[in-house]
Amino acid sequence: MSNFFKLIKNEQMKLYNQKATWIMAIILVILIIGAGVIFKVDETFTGGEAPTGDNWKEELQQQNEQLMSPDGPPDVEYPGYMNVEENQYRIENDIKPTEYNVWDFVRENRGLVALVSLFTIIVAAGITANEFRWGTIKLLLIRPISRTKILFAKYISVLIYALTMLFALFVLSFIVGSLLFGMDGFAATYVYSQAEEIKSVNIFSFTVFQYLLSFVELMMMATFAFMIAAVFRNTSLAIGLAIFLMMAGSSIVVFFMDKGWAKYILFANTDLNQFIEGTPFFSGINLGFSIAVLAVYYVLFMLLSWVFFTKRDVAGA
Amino acid sequence: MSKPVMQLKDVKKTIGKTPIIKGLNFDIYGGEVFGFLGPNGAGKTTTIRMMVGLMEMTEGDVMIKGHSINSDFKKAIHHVGGIVENPEMYPFMSGWKNLLHYARMMPGISEDRIHEVVQLVGLEKRIKEKVGKYSLGMRQRLGIAQALLHKPSVLILDEPTNGLDPSGIREIRAYIRKLAEEEGVAVIVSSHILSEMEMMCDRIGIIKNGELISIQTVRDALEQTEEKEVSMEATPVDDTVAALKEMTGKDVNIQEGRLTFTIDREKIPTVIAGLVQKGIQIYSVNVNRSTLEDKFLDLIGEGSIE
Ligand SMILES: Nc1ncnc2c1ncn2[C@@H]1O[C@H](COP(=O)(O)OP(=O)(O)O)[C@@H](O)[C@H]1O
Ligand SMILES: [Mg+2]
Repeated sequence: MSNFFKLIKNEQMKLYNQKATWIMAIILVILIIGAGVIFKVDETFTGGEAPTGDNWKEELQQQNEQLMSPDGPPDVEYPGYMNVEENQYRIENDIKPTEYNVWDFVRENRGLVALVSLFTIIVAAGITANEFRWGTIKLLLIRPISRTKILFAKYISVLIYALTMLFALFVLSFIVGSLLFGMDGFAATYVYSQAEEIKSVNIFSFTVFQYLLSFVELMMMATFAFMIAAVFRNTSLAIGLAIFLMMAGSSIVVFFMDKGWAKYILFANTDLNQFIEGTPFFSGINLGFSIAVLAVYYVLFMLLSWVFFTKRDVAGA
Repeated sequence: MSKPVMQLKDVKKTIGKTPIIKGLNFDIYGGEVFGFLGPNGAGKTTTIRMMVGLMEMTEGDVMIKGHSINSDFKKAIHHVGGIVENPEMYPFMSGWKNLLHYARMMPGISEDRIHEVVQLVGLEKRIKEKVGKYSLGMRQRLGIAQALLHKPSVLILDEPTNGLDPSGIREIRAYIRKLAEEEGVAVIVSSHILSEMEMMCDRIGIIKNGELISIQTVRDALEQTEEKEVSMEATPVDDTVAALKEMTGKDVNIQEGRLTFTIDREKIPTVIAGLVQKGIQIYSVNVNRSTLEDKFLDLIGEGSIE
């Protein structure tokens, strides 16, 4: 076991000695800070002021009346509170709105998980295929260690990288968010709609949960890129294909929407947050179904990676 | 000689339908430098890839200290160090980190041992520098260093002199001889250049089109060829013949205007100086091929040697 740990140390050393790794980290930091500054400067992003006074219920009621008024587009006072049902829910359940705060910022920065996915795909594709490109694979595989072990050390290293970046995104968003928007809403209640139903939940635990669900999508894309790289030993092919599918994934699902098998497409299932907030792609699928589909794809990806990495000859370039 | 350290047993490789290696059989012993000589495309690298388990063989087996590379890979490879083709390292890391990387992959290699191999290949001063800044010669040395970390019984070097200048080649030759003679390592060196092989190897196996055509012991070959056949174009012919007979004490043949005689290699300069002193005009002097060269060229065809 200790030599497995050493293999992971090796992979980390190689990863963090490459400039690209640091450039990716810096891009993430810049985007988080940039988003914070833009949100701070331009209030349209944060929905402007919230009705937080003593008579917030009347103000929300008024807002709802404006929203429902039949005379043209209403010029409402609180652009952050546009959902009539949600406002009604707040009034009925006595959930006072809060100003835009750190948790809103952290929650919104979950959009940057796409960027973390992109970086993780780059790392996952390179970690095996680059060894072939550099020619170092020949020195790597002539050691008293099985190819299986070497492959899994690489895979675990990719997951460690993905978790590290996701954690960095969360923590940095939290720090930047608290500095710019204040900590007041720590225990705030988050009101959202899911499948036409209004729900409320503690914003902190909900945000953490959403990040963890995002990790599943991140991991699936990384595993896909890892598989392509292990099979074809080509970094660019793996990066290109994985990024293309990541971007085109939902369009592919939409395109085949009316086919019976569409719900088995990987990308109909990768976003587990669809079961938590908003509406799922297909009415017939639920969290359990998606997890089962993902598990099948996952096993397939891992198996292909393993078979090709361990069985194929390491021949000349 | 004692038990072989490495044995190739009817090793074959077929890629697609093309037989690339057609059944190699030979043994390599501790303390010897074995040359694997053949023109480009003969199958040297392919054979080496099979020896170290990078390629699966279609048939046959390679035994290293009695362990099969096919069925007992970890135990077999434990005794092997090597470079396959170019000494490719991670260019973005220092030489030291590159060595550390490989040291971590084998049991029981201390930092002291890493220092030791660095010293052995003479890279102390540049070891903290990124490998991307190394010259080919330095990378070759670093390649040898990583191959020696775990004190292997077999060292396999695929074209280790490729791209090196003469002083680099001399250095590599010296390491290799030292390892074989002092540490008892079995060294396998491949090359497509005969003259290099002659200088560093004890035995040379000649491979062509995936077949081993002959194994020669270099010392024997050298002993046989101590005496060289020299041909010369000089005037006046009669004076030259007389002078040569006097100096060498041997017969001189005249063929198509060229004088041919045999002589110890080291006496060639003296003889030429002697002729010059006597006022003989020398237009050309050629040393004809040694027997090994003859053999090699006959076997592989003249066009393919550099
Ligand atoms: N992956 C491969 N697929 C098909 N043919 C190959 C492959 N690798 C090598 N060969 C062929 O095998 C022969 C031997 O190549 P190689 O072992 O590299 O020779 P050497 O190292 O002696 O120059 C060549 O004819 C080469 O074209
Ligand atoms: Mg070769």
